Amino acid sequence: MQLENLLAPLPSTLVTTLALMVLVLPLLSFIINLHNSKKFHGEWISSLILFTCFLLSVYLFLQVWGQEAHHFRFTWFRLAVGSAAYPFTAGILINDLSALMLVVVTLVSFLVHIYSIAYMRHDPHFIRYFAYLGLFTFSMIGIVMADNLLTIFMFWELVGLSSYLLIGFWFIKKSASNAAKKAFIVNRIGDIGFLIGIMVLWSQFHTLDLIALKSLMADSKIMNGEWLSTFSLSNNFGQTLMPEMWITIAGIGLFCGAIGKSAQFPLQVWLPDAMEGPTPVSALIHAATMVAAGVFLLARVFPLLDFQVLNLIAFVGAVTAFMGAFAAFAQNDIKKVLAYSTISQLGYMVMGIGVGAYEAATFHLITHAFFKAGLFLAAGAVIAALHGVEPYLKNDGKPVTLDFQDMRLMGGLRKKLPFTFIIFLIASAALAGIPFFSGFLSKDAILTSSLGYARVLAYEGNPLFYVVPILGFTTVLMTAMYMTRQIILIFFGKNRLPAFIDKPADAIKNLKDVPWLMRIPMAILALLSFGIVFALNPFASEGSWFLQGIDSVALVTPNPFQSYDSNDVLRNLMLYVSQDFHYYVSIGSTILAFLGIIISIYFYNPAKFSRQPKPPGFLARISYHNWYLDKIYDKVFVIPALKLSGWNAAIDRKIIDPFLEGLAVANVVLAHIIGWIDKNLIDGMVNYLARVTRMFAKLFSKVQSGQVQSYYIWALLFLMGLLLWVMF
Amino acid sequence: MITITHYLIISALLFSIGIAVALTKKNAIMVLIGIELVFNAANINLVAFSRYDQTMLQGQVFALFIIVVAAAETAVALAIILKLYHHYRSTELDKINQLKG
Repeated sequence: MQLENLLAPLPSTLVTTLALMVLVLPLLSFIINLHNSKKFHGEWISSLILFTCFLLSVYLFLQVWGQEAHHFRFTWFRLAVGSAAYPFTAGILINDLSALMLVVVTLVSFLVHIYSIAYMRHDPHFIRYFAYLGLFTFSMIGIVMADNLLTIFMFWELVGLSSYLLIGFWFIKKSASNAAKKAFIVNRIGDIGFLIGIMVLWSQFHTLDLIALKSLMADSKIMNGEWLSTFSLSNNFGQTLMPEMWITIAGIGLFCGAIGKSAQFPLQVWLPDAMEGPTPVSALIHAATMVAAGVFLLARVFPLLDFQVLNLIAFVGAVTAFMGAFAAFAQNDIKKVLAYSTISQLGYMVMGIGVGAYEAATFHLITHAFFKAGLFLAAGAVIAALHGVEPYLKNDGKPVTLDFQDMRLMGGLRKKLPFTFIIFLIASAALAGIPFFSGFLSKDAILTSSLGYARVLAYEGNPLFYVVPILGFTTVLMTAMYMTRQIILIFFGKNRLPAFIDKPADAIKNLKDVPWLMRIPMAILALLSFGIVFALNPFASEGSWFLQGIDSVALVTPNPFQSYDSNDVLRNLMLYVSQDFHYYVSIGSTILAFLGIIISIYFYNPAKFSRQPKPPGFLARISYHNWYLDKIYDKVFVIPALKLSGWNAAIDRKIIDPFLEGLAVANVVLAHIIGWIDKNLIDGMVNYLARVTRMFAKLFSKVQSGQVQSYYIWALLFLMGLLLWVMF
Repeated sequence: MITITHYLIISALLFSIGIAVALTKKNAIMVLIGIELVFNAANINLVAFSRYDQTMLQGQVFALFIIVVAAAETAVALAIILKLYHHYRSTELDKINQLKG
């Protein structure tokens, strides 16, 4: 492969220039809002900027969807390795997927901006909040349009930073600052894997450009267990050779990045804690930015993955989907339930990638973005509405504070907040995978593909692969169950607040739907949760404009299996086989979803629900504590790490510090001795010499009296002396 | 009979007086006069000893030379003293000691 041709600079087009504008505008919003004055109305400027971004993105989408990808690239710098100078390129790559992601990111971000204007209006750091939102959006857009892994990694870290800033927005709360730190650190663990993946790909191919990587990967071969890549650069012929397992290691490394960002098992622990951030931020994190970045990265590097990696991805995704759904059951916090459901849904997307259903996974990424953002905004609306009863809280001398996110205090809000209820219901239906809603379409596509995957791989006699679809289907049932539980707890039954307030009648009267500024974004997101937006036939996901239009990708990794011609043949076989399952999956998942709702209505019957629930059982405890992952990590990693640092600190303090201090003291003593010698011996010698010289000088200068007659005397004396000497 | 010894005694006296004047007088001109006496003491010696050189009379010739040179030298010395006087408004050698080390 001729590297110059692969990495040649590409001219910018109107599309890439506009894309660059979409990238830079949110950064502008960040810069504008860096001051902290409310008079300036930075929130409206930011919203306007995001709206412009959204319009531009829609234009880009219409230009790119179903057309050729637009790629603008320039040579950033050259890296000399040996005698060759490898060009390092950077640029903007807008294909179908990234154009659509741009629309989703800018739309959700815009709606969150609008919503936040009302939601955050009482916050003293209102403007800083909008600055962070701008930075967050900027970073995510950067990931979406970057054309090489290194720039993706840079924006990736920026997303990490801005999520840290936003999760810890109320950093005065200890729990919020801890959650921010946790999110940041856990993400870094995944990022190490990402970096390793980048390094492996660089050392094999000497480029990180995604398009070039695809061609180079397709061109590389596996010979005798060695992974061979040949290329030429300015008439130098070169080849790199490494053991074949490094393909898999590169893939796993890239996947590790996604594990961290997209909260997959075993790094999903940061996401529930991230609920400490303001609710609109949660909507943004869970829908369009941050967690979507991991899945998006997997979609971008999908061609570079081989089947060992895909198997790992499929299993991790399925396990995460199941674990997340299970943990959502026993949560009392309205936002925590949604957080675990996000983990579970991300598990679906990752599983979709793993079973080779690139299109279905990205489809779910898009549909999930809308309904999850809708759910979070609706949850925010519930919380905001409940804050209306704050003045009526019982006050027995000391101020009472209630956790307004606790669902045990809600109930019966259906009549008080009809608008929020409808929004929440629509978005939940989409999440639970009820037909006619968007979630049904995309979830079906993933489940269908997972069955095809299991069937093809199990054909060789290993039924273990059926674990993936089984976990997937179980999660459908559980999703319907926990969402029904949540809706019952929030909106049905009797309101459980009166126990805590003085004049219940007045207080309840004060409970009303949020202002229109918050309702409009919710309504738009709810509309986008309907299946009709994506497909005319609500039962045929393959007929949706998304799956029809998105450009197909092929696995290009060299094939380690002898039984198939290439990885992509295997993948296509899976997709082909899965078509048989389509109707069964539609019917089956619908039945499961409704079954879940019915079970849940039976179990969480509001009539049976008492305010003092009996102590939770074994399963409920596991669920409430998210499989005790936090405790396990505490015991296995955090406490040993703290102990180790404690020991290191003690060694530092007790051995290294005194040693260094002793060294320093010895030095000072030595310096004093040397100083004394200098002053008294060396200086003394020099001074003495000078003094002697001066003495002689004084002596001889006396001879030069300046008086002519004394010179005569001297001359006379010497003459007489001379005479005496001559004579005797 | 006037022997050479008389000349030498006169010469020695003159020399001693000249030295004494040159060393003790404050005035630069007096010192110059003392030096002239020393010159003439030497001249007397030269002339006295030229008695033993009847043919060439080298001593007398040399004395003449010295008289001429001494005249020139005195002229120069007087000029210097004049300049000194202009500069210091004094001819007292005690006060002119700027070359003191």
